[in-house]
Amino acid sequence: MASGILPEDAAVFFVPIMTLLLGILIGYLAQRSGYCSIGGFRDYFLFRHTRLLSGYLALIVASFAGYLLFWFLTPAAMEHFFWALTSGPATPIPGAPGGLDAAAYLIFSIVPGFFIGLIAVLIGGCPIRQTVMASEGNYRAAWFFVGMCAGSILFAALVSGWVVALMKTLGFGA
Amino acid sequence: MPDEYTNTIRYYASLLSRHPAFLGALIGVLAAFSQALLISAGGPEAYGFCVACHTRDMVNGLTNIIAGTNLALAAISKNSLLPVMSVAGVLIGGYISATLHREHRIKKGTTRDYLIYFISGILVLNLAMIFGGCPYRAALRTGYGDLMAVIFIVSMAAGVVLGAYFMLRKAEQEGA
Repeated sequence: MASGILPEDAAVFFVPIMTLLLGILIGYLAQRSGYCSIGGFRDYFLFRHTRLLSGYLALIVASFAGYLLFWFLTPAAMEHFFWALTSGPATPIPGAPGGLDAAAYLIFSIVPGFFIGLIAVLIGGCPIRQTVMASEGNYRAAWFFVGMCAGSILFAALVSGWVVALMKTLGFGA
Repeated sequence: MPDEYTNTIRYYASLLSRHPAFLGALIGVLAAFSQALLISAGGPEAYGFCVACHTRDMVNGLTNIIAGTNLALAAISKNSLLPVMSVAGVLIGGYISATLHREHRIKKGTTRDYLIYFISGILVLNLAMIFGGCPYRAALRTGYGDLMAVIFIVSMAAGVVLGAYFMLRKAEQEGA
């Protein structure tokens, strides 16, 4: 069990407050800069513009630097840093539906990645850009956000079970 | 000349706040900080900021509290008093910024547009949940050392290239 700076009793209280403040800061700056991960790849491919892409690359580099820094400062909170060395290169960080083998998680990386990229570029923005456009008064982006909310209940209630059952039928069970 | 000095600072602050790379670097460092601060409440790791996962946690967590259901969500949201609220924060922050800078414009579409965007939202969230993160958490996971996330980003770039190619062809056909 990883332990952070705050003890558990305090952390459970600060999770909503801290993430809300973080979100407000990110939302404010994302509105100023037009931040978009999908847009970065799209602009680079179409026009060779690197402005938005630099934001996404900076995120990858800075998250590595940040995790490295806090791994030095608070090693107990970064239990499995650097993941590929501590847990093996073929294991993903938990988050996807569990109980499947390594090949299934490889498929879970490739197929959703491709279709997220395809759908998001056709509707003109990644999830954060749509959320920010919704807050700017764009009704279409607001419907995207409503779709994400509906999708989260749908996923928990039905789709995750279907996906696991499908992968187990195809022989990817752990 | 304090006035000129203030103006210079204001100029560079405005330039910096409008550059995506600054925000990217900020999210990366703050996500690591928030993990260092809050991980005692529960996992998973590399979960500092994610639009899709945090929407899922917020909606399912609040539904669980209000309706008494038992929808799946991440441990950090299950253990806390309220689930993670960063997406609500993004909406509030975006609204504050748009209002302050007079960029808040109501843009309406057709019913067909709304339906397409609604279905895209459902699809994108479900696909992101199957992988276990949106593009942002994929970047955080890459920084944390997860090679599966690198594969996700490469695959996403391929999808974007194909989609952009479709857009290009459509634009050429309309122009011709």
